[in-house]
Order: sequence, then C-alpha cells, then structure tokens
Amino acid sequence: MRLVKCWFCSSTIYPGHGIQFVRNDAKIFRFCRSKCHKNFKMKRNPRKVKWTKAFRAAHGKDMTKDKTFEFEKKRNRPERYDRNVTENTLKAIKKIDKIRSAREAKHIENRLKPNKQKKLLDDKKEHDQHIHLVQAPGSVTGKIKVDVSEKKSVQNEAMEE
Amino acid sequence: MIQPQTYLNVADNSGARELMCIRIIGASNRRYAHIGDVIVSVIKEAIPNTPLERSEVIRAVIVRTCKELKRNNGTIIRYDDNAAVVIDQEGNPKGTRVFGAIPRELRQLNFTKIASLAPEVL
Repeated sequence: MRLVKCWFCSSTIYPGHGIQFVRNDAKIFRFCRSKCHKNFKMKRNPRKVKWTKAFRAAHGKDMTKDKTFEFEKKRNRPERYDRNVTENTLKAIKKIDKIRSAREAKHIENRLKPNKQKKLLDDKKEHDQHIHLVQAPGSVTGKIKVDVSEKKSVQNEAMEE
Repeated sequence: MIQPQTYLNVADNSGARELMCIRIIGASNRRYAHIGDVIVSVIKEAIPNTPLERSEVIRAVIVRTCKELKRNNGTIIRYDDNAAVVIDQEGNPKGTRVFGAIPRELRQLNFTKIASLAPEVL
C-alpha cells in the first residue's frame, strides 16, 4: 500500500480513492477525487487554481523550503526490514509531523503579521475620512472642551461694565 | 466498453494501424468488450508493404480503453485511447513489438507474451 499525492491539488490519496489517468506516453496522473480530475480535463493549470497546494507554493503562501520535507521524499531503494528501524521511524513520523505543522503555521503567521498594523492604520483613516457616512456632519456627540480661563476673562469684563 | 463499429488503435508493429470491432468473442450477445477481451475486427487502415492488408478480418485483444478499469484493490485506471494488439487463433501476438503502457491484467489472462513485450506494465 502506498500513499500518493494528487497531481492537481497535492493532497494524499488513500487506497480506494480517486482515479489514475495513464497518458499515451505512459505518464500517470493520479487524482484524489473527481473535482481534481474534472479540472485536469478542463486543462486548468494547478499553479493558477487558488485552492491547490501548487498555487500556494508558487505564490509563497505556504512554506516550501524546509528540512522536514526531506524526510518524506520517495526513496527508490527498498529498505531491509528491521524491527527497531520501523519502530523508530513510526515515532519519528509523529514528531516530524508536529514540528512541520508548527513551522507551517509560523510561516503563515509571519506572512500575515505586518498586515495587522497596516489594517489598523487603514481603519483609522477610513474612520477619519468617511465618518459622515455614519453620522450627520452637524450632529454633536461627546463632550465639547471649553477653555475655562477665557470664559472667566469675558465674565470679568462684563461685570466691570 | 468496445462494441461493434468501434475504432481501435493498434498497439503493435503487426502492420495494421486502425481496427474496427465487428464482434466480441465470448458469450453470444455480449454487449461490450473490456481490457483483456478478444474481439474480431476488420483492418480499416494498414501500413503499406506489410503482411496485413486493409479490410482483412483478424482477431485482436484489447489492451487499453478509455473506459476505466477497476481493480480489486480499489484502484481505477483510465487510458487515453482505445487500443488492441493483433493476435492469432492461439492468442500469440502477430507483431514483435508492443507500444504504450499495458495493464497487468493481461498477464493473468494468459497473454504473457504481450505483457513481456510491453515497454511499461501498469
């Protein structure tokens, strides 16, 4: 049993799922579901279809270069069965998975971080410029600040007279 | 799903280029033929100066279909065209080379010679 990746969306294909298409030059295209298969038949380029992993990798949305991906590479040399190696591999798979998903999440977080400040400034600007869409221009809300010393001088002048 | 009047490509170097299915060998009123079935066909197009000529009636075994082939382990395989290999009465291929990918099912159906000649067995 071997878990393979969908040619279009790069998700894992489990046994019993999907269709394999063999082209006349003997290249095999595996699809995880009919959605990917139909997109392929429409001759869509996965690097331009937003929800695929190929798009996300090509546009820097997801992490692509990391040492944790080296562990998953397909090796064509069959390994001689060794119980300890198998046991350690199973343990390592879980650990590497955890590390990889943590790094991927960090990558996305770092990508979105500078935008938070920008968003705040944009919102502030929008509030300053377009508050008239929400409140009438003449309406008074909140307290008005009056300078007390000025008022007092006016009063004194009036009293003097 | 090959039926009479279906045109098939020829996947070997026997001399024929295109076949048209006339009859499916097996049950008397079998509707469709799939990968591994033997069909009687007429040669619609042939390469000149070869032993096989146009409008000759010969037998062939289907090696590739556009209709999906379902395996017991759940995998489904679909090819890009319908193709057959020209065969004689015993089941031995008439040509010496086979082109394109051939499914593993042919080996189990006693077409071992074809499977061994194939450049790629999928």
